[in-house]
Amino acid sequence: MEKLEIKQLTKIFGKRQKQALKMVKEGASKTDILKKTGATVGVYDANFSVKEGEIFVIMGLSGSGKSTLIRLLNRLIEPSSGDIYINGQDIAKMNKEELREVRRHSINMVFQNFALLPHKTILENTEFGLELRGVPKEERQKLAEKALENSDLLAFKDQYPSQLSGGMQQRVGLARALANDPEILLMDEAFSALDPLIRKEMQDELLDLQERVQKTIIFITHDLNEALRIGDRIALMKDGKIIQIGTGEEILTNPANDFVREFVEDVDRSKVLTAQNIMIKPLTTNLDIDGPKVALNRMRNESVSMLMAVNRKRQLQGVVTADQALEAARHHRTLTEVVTKDVITIAKDTLVTDILPLIHDSSSPIAVVDDNDRLAGVIIRGRVLEALAKDTD
Amino acid sequence: MFLTIFNNPLPVAELVDKTTEWLTKTFSGLFGLVQDLGNAVMNVMTDTLLFFPPIFVIVLLTGLAYLLSRKKTPKAFGLALFTFIGLLFIDNQELWVDLMNTLSLVVVASILSVIIGIPLGIWMAKSNRVQQIVNPILDFMQTMPAFVYLIPAVAFFGIGMVPGVFASIIFALPPTVRFTNLGIREVPRDLVEASESFGSTGQQKLFKVELPLAKDTIVAGVSQTIMLALSMVVTGSMIGAPGLGRGVLSALQKADIGSGFVNGLSLVILAIIIDRMMQLVNVKSQNPLPPLLKKALSGLALVLLLLPSFASFFGNSKAAKKDTINLAYVQWDSEIASTNVLAEVLRQEGFEVEMTPLDNAVVWKSLADGSMDTSMSAWLPVTHGDLFAEYKGKLEDLGPNLEGVALGLAVPTYMAVDSIEDLTSQADSAITGIEPGAGIMASTDNALSAYANLSSWTLEPASTGAMVTALDKAIKGQEDIVITAWSPHWMFAKYDLKYLEDPQKVFGDGENIHTLTRQGLAEDKPEAFQIIDQFYWTKEDMEAVMLDIADGMSEEEAARKWIKANPNKVAEWTKS
Repeated sequence: MEKLEIKQLTKIFGKRQKQALKMVKEGASKTDILKKTGATVGVYDANFSVKEGEIFVIMGLSGSGKSTLIRLLNRLIEPSSGDIYINGQDIAKMNKEELREVRRHSINMVFQNFALLPHKTILENTEFGLELRGVPKEERQKLAEKALENSDLLAFKDQYPSQLSGGMQQRVGLARALANDPEILLMDEAFSALDPLIRKEMQDELLDLQERVQKTIIFITHDLNEALRIGDRIALMKDGKIIQIGTGEEILTNPANDFVREFVEDVDRSKVLTAQNIMIKPLTTNLDIDGPKVALNRMRNESVSMLMAVNRKRQLQGVVTADQALEAARHHRTLTEVVTKDVITIAKDTLVTDILPLIHDSSSPIAVVDDNDRLAGVIIRGRVLEALAKDTD
Repeated sequence: MFLTIFNNPLPVAELVDKTTEWLTKTFSGLFGLVQDLGNAVMNVMTDTLLFFPPIFVIVLLTGLAYLLSRKKTPKAFGLALFTFIGLLFIDNQELWVDLMNTLSLVVVASILSVIIGIPLGIWMAKSNRVQQIVNPILDFMQTMPAFVYLIPAVAFFGIGMVPGVFASIIFALPPTVRFTNLGIREVPRDLVEASESFGSTGQQKLFKVELPLAKDTIVAGVSQTIMLALSMVVTGSMIGAPGLGRGVLSALQKADIGSGFVNGLSLVILAIIIDRMMQLVNVKSQNPLPPLLKKALSGLALVLLLLPSFASFFGNSKAAKKDTINLAYVQWDSEIASTNVLAEVLRQEGFEVEMTPLDNAVVWKSLADGSMDTSMSAWLPVTHGDLFAEYKGKLEDLGPNLEGVALGLAVPTYMAVDSIEDLTSQADSAITGIEPGAGIMASTDNALSAYANLSSWTLEPASTGAMVTALDKAIKGQEDIVITAWSPHWMFAKYDLKYLEDPQKVFGDGENIHTLTRQGLAEDKPEAFQIIDQFYWTKEDMEAVMLDIADGMSEEEAARKWIKANPNKVAEWTKS
């Protein structure tokens, strides 16, 4: 049996819903419907099912209806029509008390902006769901402390949310949901408010956690990479409709239509793919200012073994490797004296196919420069291969 | 058909009158109960506050101010110092009893406003429809001049503390309601969603999320409510609410700048103390109290809670005296003199006396509905003729306590007119009057229509004090002025004034001041009734007392002095 099953779920906001529904069936766009009727289509005719222990990702641009969809699942937003089955029970038909029981025990949510109560401590926040259930204080504190321990936050239990960083706050939000031990976890853009590094950490943590707890997770994101990293299956939404459901591989391989193709950047255009499409941000050292120690320090921080050397005007001067910098530091010489000058440079509009032979011969990355000899980016081997691999699909 | 609407005024006033009357009749039992209950609560509270010596209360409040400031910064003495000095000053000015009365009124009005306002605000926040309905009502309540509430307040609850509280609540309620509504509506959407998604009931959402987060906003609203209640104290004193407001009002009516300032300043001190304390209540404590101090404080609070019962017990044992007599009077200098003398005589005979200054029309009303026992201030047959006609049969007229008073229009003797008929356009064709509700004002209105030469004249209402001040200014500048005057009054002793002849006898032909009592006083309090009934004196007696007061002697003192000087007259009144 499926853990969660959605059948013909639809939500229209505003007035004149009947007319709006008719227009949706005829395939009118969201804007036209809004102009004509004043009604907004949140979600139209969503059908999918999620298995136990699966991470199901719903992806789409802002305004595609993904946040509405996730709120329909626990009826924070009342569906206009359709059915939501959890363990075979239809949530949409439940009365208030039954729905409250479901929310308390089987389906919980993690929010984009954490939604922690500012007047309660971390521990009180974590036990909030249990408190609402009426679990005795001793017991709920024990459970909450355990959940916090799992996410390494026990030391902060008496602090207030405002004293914690964003990543920590979101871990509290997650702990709050997990302390409740729900069967289904809804995550509404849970990592979107965090910076990219923390985001990645959180994704890894979530995957680790999933190995241990095996929850059914509905995860919402607008970020394809995030979806591909954590999703067992992905549903893509546009204008309230689900366009395609499948594994990451399926979606990348067989996009259902041009929209999906564009969305997943599955550019079958390597013929016209140029250097600037695949270059990455260069890690530089400024020869006019930095000494060898600074360069070494930067390499250590960025975990690389070479830096592109530029001058004050960001014009390319060469490459500095870790060995060279170390050498310079030992003999008290400047970076300028040790820099390797011969770097292959290409213009921004060089075709990828032309770059391949160059990179094959070069040990250092290829530098992409603009007309004024300023460094715009670098190209590393992996990116080229990736680009060409797509080409052969 | 449609145009007739514009020709005749719609009978709105009549409708409101009828509605109020109907309400008063229909719910008289309920209103009476509320009045008695309210008075009992207020009395216990005031008695408690007055049970302690002022210095004890001052130290207590200073301590509280210090503890609250301590929350913010450990070493803040500013507010505590201000509280201590300010309250000492009020006590030094002998306004302590008034202050405690004011405090009780403000506290009760504020507590009731909060009890009514916060649930109403919550209801508004939960329902857009309720918000649509309540918002215009709140606008109406806040913009309607506060005086308007006094009228139904008297109709429903008689006079004294209770109508004052009633009017204060109507006036002060809106901020609490608005801010509660606002605070709850401003709670971030995702926090509400979060609590719902974890399956909170409506109640859990309200008490665990919405109210704690809206707390600061709500407290700000409550502070505003307290300030508004405080500002109503002065207005409420017109219908007998005791406290500092009375001092301000009587200063206005007697044009006594100094005492007005002192009373006003006391109100300001109280307002500042309350306002600052409320602000501090909202600050998160950074310096939690040591446990021992906490214990001591909670013990003290318990004692304070238990003491009212003791206080009322002692109060009862004190009340083994004779009856309490409620004297109503208007703050005209003549009535201040007679009422104080009567009060002093009754006190010397062992009665408890409550003196309540009221607006003239309210005096009559309070006697008619029995909330006051007696008043010495009925000018009959003409000046208060219409009031007498209105309340005839609802109160007892014991006949004159002073005969042969004069009233009419008066001018300084340097003006060339001698009769009302000689008036043309002197003094900008304006007559400087007194309180709009006074009898002489009605008579003057009649005069304006009775005399053809006054057809373009206007009557400017003010207050007795303001009129005397204007007269003083005019005489110093040798300007023309026409005033509504009556004697006995000390202004005739102080300035050279003359009455204008009144050939049409609009102002009556020799008035008397009568004593009125409520119905049934003779049966309830026969001994006091005897004294009130036998009270009789002359113009010269009254003017002696008036002059002493005008020269700066306190009212009680002037009354005592006169009683000492006239033992025979007093013996006439007190013989049984």
